[in-house]
Formats: sequence, C-alpha cells, structure tokens
Amino acid sequence: MSAILFARVFVCVCALASVSLALPLAVAAYDGDWRAAAAFAAPFAVGLAAAAAIGVRISRKRSGNHDRAAAAPPPVPGDAIAAVGVAWIAVCLFGAIPLRVCGALPSIADAVFESVSGFTTTGATVLADVESLPRAVNLWRCETHWLGGMGVIALVVALVPMFGIGGFRLMNAESTGPEKGKLTARIADTAKVLWTLYVALTAAQTALLRLCGMGWTDALCHAFSTLGTGGFSTRNASIAAFASPAAEWVCTAFMFAAALNFAVYYRLLARRGEGVRAATEPKALALLYCCATALVAAALAHGGETAGRSVRLAAFQVASILSTTGFASADFATWAPVAQATLFALMLVGGCSGSTAGGVKVVRWTILARQAGVEVQRMLHPRGVYSVRIDGVPVHEGLVVRVGAFVFAYLALSCVTALAGAAAGLPPLEAVTAAFSMVGNVGPALGSLGPTANFGALPAALKLWYCFAMLAGRLEIYTMLILLLRLPRCIVRANA
Amino acid sequence: MADARAVAKADFAGGFRKRSRISPQCLDLKLHDMKTIVVGAGFTGIQLSRSLVASGAEVVLVENDSARAAVAREQVDCAVVEADGNNPATLESAGLADADALVALTDDDEVNLITCALADAVRPSVKKLARVRNYAYYERTARPELASAARRAGHSRPVFGVDRMLNPDVEAAAAICRAMEYGLVGNVIDLDGGHGIAELAVAPGGRLDGVALRNAAERTGRRMLVAFVSRAGEAMLPDGSTTLQAGDRIGVVVDAGNRDEMFALAGAAPEGLPRRAAVFGAGLVGRFVAKRLLADGGQGEGLRALFGSTRRRRREIVVVDADPARCREAANALPGARVLCGDVTEEAFLHDEGLDACDIAVTATSDTERNLVAAAYLKGLGVARTVALTASASFDEIARKLGIDVAVPLRDSVVDAIAGHLRGRSVHSVHSVCNRSFEIVECDVEPGSPAADRPLSELSLPGDFLALLTRAPGGGPFAVPDGSTILAPGARVVLVMRPGSPRAMRVFSKP
Repeated sequence: MSAILFARVFVCVCALASVSLALPLAVAAYDGDWRAAAAFAAPFAVGLAAAAAIGVRISRKRSGNHDRAAAAPPPVPGDAIAAVGVAWIAVCLFGAIPLRVCGALPSIADAVFESVSGFTTTGATVLADVESLPRAVNLWRCETHWLGGMGVIALVVALVPMFGIGGFRLMNAESTGPEKGKLTARIADTAKVLWTLYVALTAAQTALLRLCGMGWTDALCHAFSTLGTGGFSTRNASIAAFASPAAEWVCTAFMFAAALNFAVYYRLLARRGEGVRAATEPKALALLYCCATALVAAALAHGGETAGRSVRLAAFQVASILSTTGFASADFATWAPVAQATLFALMLVGGCSGSTAGGVKVVRWTILARQAGVEVQRMLHPRGVYSVRIDGVPVHEGLVVRVGAFVFAYLALSCVTALAGAAAGLPPLEAVTAAFSMVGNVGPALGSLGPTANFGALPAALKLWYCFAMLAGRLEIYTMLILLLRLPRCIVRANA
Repeated sequence: MADARAVAKADFAGGFRKRSRISPQCLDLKLHDMKTIVVGAGFTGIQLSRSLVASGAEVVLVENDSARAAVAREQVDCAVVEADGNNPATLESAGLADADALVALTDDDEVNLITCALADAVRPSVKKLARVRNYAYYERTARPELASAARRAGHSRPVFGVDRMLNPDVEAAAAICRAMEYGLVGNVIDLDGGHGIAELAVAPGGRLDGVALRNAAERTGRRMLVAFVSRAGEAMLPDGSTTLQAGDRIGVVVDAGNRDEMFALAGAAPEGLPRRAAVFGAGLVGRFVAKRLLADGGQGEGLRALFGSTRRRRREIVVVDADPARCREAANALPGARVLCGDVTEEAFLHDEGLDACDIAVTATSDTERNLVAAAYLKGLGVARTVALTASASFDEIARKLGIDVAVPLRDSVVDAIAGHLRGRSVHSVHSVCNRSFEIVECDVEPGSPAADRPLSELSLPGDFLALLTRAPGGGPFAVPDGSTILAPGARVVLVMRPGSPRAMRVFSKP
C-alpha cells in the first residue's frame, strides 16, 4: 500500500521537476549554449521516461481510475509524511543533476547543496561568481526557489487529481505553521488558489522590476527568488548590483508580501475582509517589521549614513531577513553590532505561517509571548483561568504546548547544526549564525559567511549536514525526523 | 434648538397641571382588557397568568399535564384548557381568533417555537412570545442589531412568527444589571436619534441645589428637561414647582450636544462606577452580567461610548467559579475579565484575590441557597454592596434579613419581562428607573387611540405620565413636545410613567 503511495508521489514529483526543466532548456537552446542545453535535456528526458515507466506500472497494478483513487482512504499519517520527505529529497537530487552536468558546480556535494539551498528557499550559494554562469543555469537556480517556496507537493496536489483527500495529509506535511486548514472545501482547489495567487504575484513583480530597468531574465529570476523567499541572484552583489533604489523598494514590498500568510490575500479577494482585520499574525509581523527597521535605520544613521539611505537599506535588509529571503542591498556583515544583532534575531522569527518564508514563524512567537504574559498573570493570581487569543479567538491549551515543543525542536536542531559547524572548524560567530540561517532557510550568515561571501570553502560533510538542516527547516523539523525514524521500516517492508 | 425645547418643556411641566383638565374620554377608559393565551402552566405560566388577571386581562391557560392543570385551576382565576398547546385546534378552541397575544412557556424550547409557528400560520396578527432557554436560538433572532437588514426593516417575518423571544438567563442578567444601575450612577438610557435620559445626582451646593424647575433655565443659564426626580427613595414626576434638593437623583433628557454640560451642572462627578466588581458563578447569567459590566467600561455604543470618554476609569471585573470547565468557558468568552477558579467559601482565596474588598459582588450561580449564603458572607467580609440571584421572589424576605442589598428573582424577572412586552402591541422599549418606581416607555400612537390627533394637553393624567419626546410618524428626529403638540397616528412618543400604568398605556393604544 505505502509502496504505491511512495511510487505515485515520486512519479508526480519527477514529472513535475522534468517539466519545470523545460524553461531553462528553452532558454539554453535560444542562447545556443548547447552544453547547458544538453545538461537540461538529459534529466528532462530521463525524468519524463522514468515517470512514464513507473506510472504505467502503477496503473497496471492498480487498474483503477482516478475516481477510485480519489475515493480511496487517505494514506496513514506516517506514510504521507515520509512520502513527502522522500519526494523533497528526490526533487533536490534531481535538481542537482543539471547543475553538475553542465559543469557549473565543481563537485556533487556542491551541486546538491546548491539544489537543496534552492528548493528549500534558503539561497545560500557555494558559487563565488554567478555572473559567469550560463543564463539558463541562473534561471534554473531561481526557479528552484519558486517551486520550493509554495511547495512542490502543493503544486502536485493542485495539478494531479489522483490524491483526493490524501492530498490534505501530503500538503500538511509540507506547508508551514502550527495549525493547518483548507481555504476551500476541496484540498485541490486550495492548492490551485494558492498557486494562482503565487503566479499572479510573480507576474506582477516581474513587470515592476522590468519597469525599474532590469532585463526580462533578471526580472523573472529575482521575482522567482523574492516570491519563494529564496535569495539566489543573477549577480554576485545581489540586488545592490543594479544600483536602482526603485528596484530595491519593489523587492522590499514583495519580500514583505511573500512573508504574509497567503490566506490573507485569498480572504481579501474573496471579500472576507473582516477575517483579515482580526488577524493577529500579519499585524504582529508588520509591527515587528516597523520596529526592526526603525532600530536598524537608527543604527545606520548613527554610523554616518544619510537618513533616506539608512531607511532604504534598513527596510530592505530587515524585509530580506524577516522574510528569510536573504537578498542584500548592502554588506550587513560590516554594519554596527546592534544592526547585525537585530538582523540575527530576525532570522529566528521568520515570516507568517502559510507563507513561503522559513523560520519559527511569527504566530508561534506570538502564542509563546502571550503565554508568557499569562504566566506573569498566573504568578499574581494563582487561581486565575486564562486563555491565549489569536485572531480574537482563544486557542486550545494543547496548541501552546505543541508550539513550545516545536520551538524546542527547532532550537535543538539549530544548536546541533552550530556544533557541527564548529566541529568543522568554523569560528563561533559563523558557526552559530550559519546554523540559524540554514535551519531558518535565510541564506546569508554573519562574519565571513556574510551576504557577499559564499559557502564554497566549507568541507563537503558540513555541506551535506547543512542540506539536512535546510530540508528539516523547510519541512518544519518533524517531517524529516519521522522520515529518519520510518525509512528503515519502509525499506524492510518493500524488500519483503 | 435645545434651548427652545427646554423652555417649552419648562412651561409644559409647570403648566399642564393647572391648564389641562382630564377629558371624559380619557377617564372612562376600560382597564386592561387584553386577551392572552398562555401555553404551559409551570411556575412562570401561573405567575404570569396571575399578574395578568390581576391587571384585568382575560387569560386562557393551556396545559397538557392534568396534575399541573388542576393546580392552575386552583391558583389562577382563569380558564384552563387541558390539551397540547402545539395543536392549532387547541389554540383555536382557546380563543386564538380574538386573542391579542400568545405566550408559550412550556419547558421545551422547541415546543414553544412550534406553538408560535402554528399560531402564526393561522393568526399572523396575534402577538407571540416564546421562552427559549437555548441561547443559540435567541442570540441572533431576538437581538435587533444582529438581525438581517430585511428583518430590521420589517420586510420579513420574524423566525417562527415569534414577535419576542425571552431567555430566562438574559432577563435575569438584565434584572441584575438594572438593580446595579441604581448604584452605578451616571446611568444613561439610550433612545433613538442621539437622545438619552441621564440619571444624575444633585450635589450639595451645586448650581441645581435648591432650584425650582420653572426657574432652572434662568438660574443656571442652561435649559433642561427633567423626566423624574427621586428624593430619599421616593420617586415623583416633576412639574414646574418642583424644587431640587441636594441628594436628589434626577433624570435629565440629554442629546449629543449637551450631555457633558448636564453632568457638570449636577455639581460633582457622579458617584463613580464600581472599580472592582466580582461576579460569582460563571454560568450564562454571570457571563452576561460580566459582559455588560465590561461593555459599560467605556466601550459601549452610541451615547454610552461618548460618555465613556468623560468617565473612563479602569474597572476590574472578576468572575469566580469553582468549576474549571465553566471557568475555561468564561475565560474564552470574556477577554477583558479576570476569571478565577475557586470557592467563595475559602476565606484565604477571597483575601488573596482582594475579593473581600470589592465594591460590588453579584452571586449568580444556579443555586439560590448558595447565592444567598455567599452574598451574606461577602457582605460580612466587607463587600460594599451585594446582589444575589434567587429562584423566585419568595426569597426576598430572607435576603433582606441576611443583609443582602438586592435579591433578583430569576423566574419573576421573566414574568416581569413578559408582562412588560404584553403591555401593548405598540410598545417598543421599557426601561425601569428609580428602583422601578418609574418606567421610560417608547411607544407608538395607535390609530384610533384616544391620543391620536389630539393635543397633548387634553390627554394628560397628572402624576401618571409625562411625555418627554415625540417624533413624527415614519422617523426623523425626536423633539420635545408642549401642550399643544398634536400626535398623529403612528407617531413615536417617549413617556415616563408609573410601572405598567394601564391608564397611561390606554391613552396611546386602541380602545
């Protein structure tokens, strides 16, 4: 039973990844860069063929149609979660193939790191010079952000009707936030709504960036990176290379937009505005954003920048780190300590639940902060009964415990990752900031791993551990943990 | 505008006693001759029937339980039909055809609603009241502000044809709040169109102290319209010769422009709201009372919200219950209140939370004896004022002996509420003031009533009622009338009157 689910998810993800290679393949062919074209064409063909082969076997075995599959009971939770973990690993490995084959990346570990960094929307690169890469390769790097941002499983559920209600469990294993729900009655419709909004926002940003003077490819690449809250750029100096304040403001606005819960846009479009007005999380995000921007801008102005430039740089960098995008319009690793500390703290916060951003998520911190307030009240009035409210509605007490446990798991993984970095010889600042940057899917760290530097010089083993940390961060820890616990059993069962 | 109104009013108040003579048409009005069918002869049904019979109404009780029907026959001087109320044939035989009102008071919400629906199908013109205990049925159907626009505008029939639903918990909470209002000075009754009636205390040495109402305008430089005066616990309708004294509590008609002036005029800030109020019992009644207290803390609507800015003070509302599950519900439902899980008889708990020093304590659990004992106990610990919820008015004497300030009888408050709504089809709202000595009644002048198309001076019943504000049929702003004001049929009039005064009500409804 579970083997079929695994195969089905695998086929769909392979087919999806292969089809998405068509865009860079076409660009490479247009540019006449035949080496790159071959690098994309090979996995494109292999992926489609493999998907077709396995797909045919599944359909022979089941001889069922889509309706029967849709009516089938949903997979058991463990299988669904493990399948999503496997699918993510598969798609990351698949995405690494063209990067390695075209010769852009020196080793397999580097190619895998770059691909994982892309799909998990981290945006940390091992490349010192991305400007020398073929246009198609840069487009593919940014496209991985875009696919991974909203989620490959969400896209599969939106496009392939065969999962039925099982799609809910699959999407839940991938989407972010403490409580998951459906915007529409059918999970496939929810996935479609989310992807439609996502495509519309991407198109809007591409057009605006084009108006700001970027070329079409650059505009599209940066729109992919921004909406996916990734951070890959087509330039070594990131957004700063374009020297266009207008482009910076466009990116700032869209980074903030990508950090918001996409359900907010859906409610606004569906004219359910009263739900948005009561929403706690966007308000908390906006408040946090304004405070952090003011603090960083003040630090920059104190350091001798003009007021206008301070605000612009602060607004951009704060949006970049808070949304876990990781673009840079300045080298913040050289800023005043208070500004750096602020940005580092924001790495832990992340965006809203249900957004493409990483991190712990604003709503979890809000719940914990309110629970802390309740604890203070409880000290004063030991017999008091209190409730933590989100969106004006009391949350059940179990959720507070779950959020606390999640934050523990998140911080524990970050600490282990920091230890791994230190064991590999990184200085404490780099080890700690890189760990939070990887688990939070941010991208740049501080010190010698700042926005202008790259991760290329790290040992291969550390790169692979960082790959695990990025995937665990993107899938909110538990999915990868369950995969690790469950995978051996699945292999045994498949062999038996 | 306000000045002209006030002058006219001063003349009116001072003048109508000598000028107007009671017309013979008004004097020979029959007393209450309403025909009412009451379905369900439980405690409330019997109490209501008794009070209606006492006020001269004709009542038919419908009860399907023979034992209860027998008790009803003994206790109430009315016809008792022993049959199912949710049967149109029974209702017809009970005289639905020429009844004015139907009140469904069985123990079952659904039976009450269906009875009204059946009666509505046959006789839509009969006014129907139903008791519903399930708050979900009540919440959105009985509160006009939550109803749909079509329903508010009268374009659609009410749910199940029920003109008025009554929820015992809501009525009890309203009764508790009314009882507290007397202490929470600065109370304002909101009327339509920005008008309200503010209850003020005349401060010693204030500008109103010792002023006769007919001179009030020149003595204070402010024109004012006084609806009622309460002196040493005795309430009266004022006229021009009434002289205000320190300590009097007066009801003043206010509008959006002169509220603050009126409060300033009374000399001192009103007594102030209780800073700390404790509600014991987190059931529905307790939660409604707490919600109302929280809403009064300056976040109310309309006039109340504007007032809030002038008398906003941090108020602490504590809700106490011994049951953790009810506490959890209350904590979820009342974001502004502090909910404590504890027992009222634990002295250490009360002391730790400072509950023995609160300004007012309301005991509103479902257990009458517990409420009485707890209220007496709290009073003994030093709580300034205590209000206890009791099952019925028969506990009033015990409560008084225990030193409890106010006992609110749950069942009687439902009976009162129904009786209030039965007072006439044209009555829109009734607010009790001055410890229930007076009522502020909003009603319509019915076509064919003694009041229709006649000047007010011909209608007056001195000491019975006072017309405060009138409004032309079909809306528009309220205006202060004088003796020559002629009320068209359908006009809205705001009266202050003795509670349930049948003579006053008869003036405005069809004979």
